[in-house]
Amino acid sequence: MIFKNTENRFGMITIVLHWLMAAMMVGLSIIGLWMVRIPISVQKLQFYGWHKEWGMLALMLVIVRLAWRIRNITPALDAIPAWEELAARAVHWAFYFFMFALPVTGWLITSSADLPVSFFGLFTFPNLMSGNEANRLLISNIHEWLGYALIATFCMHTGAALKHHFINKDNILRRMLWP
Amino acid sequence: MAINRFFSFLFLILLLPTMATAFEWHIVPDKSSLYFQAIQNNSPIKGEFKKFTGNIKFDQQALNKSHVDITVDTASVSTSFKDVEDALKTAEWFDAKAFPKATFIAKNFKKISDKDYEAHGQLTLRDKTLPLTLHFTFEKYTDNEAIVTGNATVNRTEFGVGQGEWKKTDGVKDPVEINFKIEAVK
Repeated sequence: MIFKNTENRFGMITIVLHWLMAAMMVGLSIIGLWMVRIPISVQKLQFYGWHKEWGMLALMLVIVRLAWRIRNITPALDAIPAWEELAARAVHWAFYFFMFALPVTGWLITSSADLPVSFFGLFTFPNLMSGNEANRLLISNIHEWLGYALIATFCMHTGAALKHHFINKDNILRRMLWP
Repeated sequence: MAINRFFSFLFLILLLPTMATAFEWHIVPDKSSLYFQAIQNNSPIKGEFKKFTGNIKFDQQALNKSHVDITVDTASVSTSFKDVEDALKTAEWFDAKAFPKATFIAKNFKKISDKDYEAHGQLTLRDKTLPLTLHFTFEKYTDNEAIVTGNATVNRTEFGVGQGEWKKTDGVKDPVEINFKIEAVK
């Protein structure tokens, strides 16, 4: 098993971070879409609690992931059309943007609601700004649309990966499954 | 003799109001505050009651004659997050419509140290009245101006604050910390 990336293969660390964060982003999106629609209840509160602490964990992980990516070589893309390569790279950097922008705007929302985030009961994150209803509404809107954009990007990325696997029958999806 | 007695009596009558007011303090609303803090999802959630009034008769030298009576307007509850504020006013929490007032009445005071005191009284919240001890400290105490800060802890479920599924204390914990600052003048 290789841990670091090579010229043409992804290493274990990259693969684990990819799938771990993919699962978290899917889970966070589902909980996020659901929790805002249900009336105030113990369950709603619990969903918000999970969404916030897992979102903060995602923010911590994306820092690790970006650092790992910068310090590692990225395997070369197989021969694909230039527009596909451009699309693939754009989608990857869009993901990095969302992985930072979503947790940070989420942190700003909960700060402006003056409801600091507990990290699984271990410690509490400080608020980034003071309580303000107008700011909370504005940032909530931004967070919501970033969420929709993430889902759209997710569909493009997943669709492309499946197309390469089942239609082109190339190695693109397989190399993200096992080093 | 009768005239003398009459004047003595008159003198006493005239003196009475000043004796009464010598004890009496008036809260300065703009400089006084009443906050509470609970724990939800393991993190603090803060709120404030914007309106409260009080009859305060207090003298550090005459604790046995002191009497404090605070009335809180439950509908004046305020939090940074509007949804929480609206929820707190509903029947499940403070039920501001059915119970517009919460009161704290204390007649029993204890000196702890030079500036620190305890007030042993009764808190009425919703339809429950239970004993409550407040700890308070004089930041300032002159003949006509006093600044007091204090705190107390109440278990919200004992007063029925949080009905139905909110009676469970895993989402919103039971203890609620109360912090207040009162500036008063004579």
